[in-house]
Amino acid sequence: MPLNTAVVSHHLDQALNSPLFRNADRQARFLRFVVDSALHSPQSAIKEFDIGIAVYDRRSDYDPRMDPIVRVEAARLRARLREYYEVTPPEHVRIEIPKGRYVPVFISVEGDPAPVNTDLSVLVPPFRCLSADPEDQNFCDGLTEEVLHKLAQIPRLRVITESVAARLGQIDGPKPHYLLEASVRRGGAEIRLVLHLMELTGGGSTLFSNIYQATINNVFTTQEHLADEIRRDISSALHVGERVTRASTS
Amino acid sequence: MDTTIIRYLRESVALLPRENSGPANEFYRRLFELAPEVRRMFTREIGLQAKKFSDMLAWVIANLDHPDELSSEMRALGARHGGYGVTIDQYAPIGSALMWMFQHTLGDRFTPEMEEAWLEFYAFISFEMERGAREAPATGTHP
Repeated sequence: MPLNTAVVSHHLDQALNSPLFRNADRQARFLRFVVDSALHSPQSAIKEFDIGIAVYDRRSDYDPRMDPIVRVEAARLRARLREYYEVTPPEHVRIEIPKGRYVPVFISVEGDPAPVNTDLSVLVPPFRCLSADPEDQNFCDGLTEEVLHKLAQIPRLRVITESVAARLGQIDGPKPHYLLEASVRRGGAEIRLVLHLMELTGGGSTLFSNIYQATINNVFTTQEHLADEIRRDISSALHVGERVTRASTS
Repeated sequence: MDTTIIRYLRESVALLPRENSGPANEFYRRLFELAPEVRRMFTREIGLQAKKFSDMLAWVIANLDHPDELSSEMRALGARHGGYGVTIDQYAPIGSALMWMFQHTLGDRFTPEMEEAWLEFYAFISFEMERGAREAPATGTHP
């Protein structure tokens, strides 16, 4: 089903009628406001100030620097959406509000569905930090966590961490299909990440490889943006059918 | 929990003055400005309440490496708050007052990364509290 305003609006109504949103009036209003704004004015930015006025009844002299209620609620809304999708896996579309912005993205979860019995699995060891600086190691650990979280959202892809793989090994479990390895280097505020996706069940060949670069302004935002890019690339490389798009208003 | 977040949480709390409950008093003052309707839920003298808040903050920071204990304690706290009549919408001004407490007390030393860490962490603990309230019967007592 192609993504359009009707599909996204229908999905939004379903989400807001769920128990997680029914008793969370402001969170529901927040989500409706940003989704409606994105659908009906797709070229416009959605500002923290506008949400404060429209959803949290702030006055026109409201200063988001002094009253971070919208940032507080945005973080809580992201957590609520994650929980909602864990309880209710989406059929056609998933709504996400990436960190550092209020414009939602609408992610098609259909693609080219593979049969259920062709689930893929990927082993993801902690990303290697090519530096002894504890700060860089923390960045690597945080980035690994963020990527694990994003990959876990890809339909029909099982994500296995190194600790889980060790336990699976003890009970002679099946080998994962793929191995995702990455190394991270930092020079000043610049980050360079080299990533390889390799087959474990075939000849061990490299299926996908890429280099990602980013400038760190905010650690968490940078980690999330990199993780989003990696998720899109891995999803595409494995043909597990995920497409990030802005819904058309047709 | 993400080690980077834990580090920023600990660094920010370590910067708060330890000798009194000043920051916690500021938290309640700001909370009652943002949400005057919650004032009636507090029957205890606010100085005592602030001391309790400071103790809870110290406990939380000491237990960041124990997510199961943290979840369990936050759910129990949420169940009690549900009994006092705290609604899901009221977690918004509580979070805003918490951020403001750090901003107001630490000024520029409260970095954007620290704020981001607290936003993430508050989303986690407030969600656990909501869950605790949902799963518990109402009691109707006061904090």
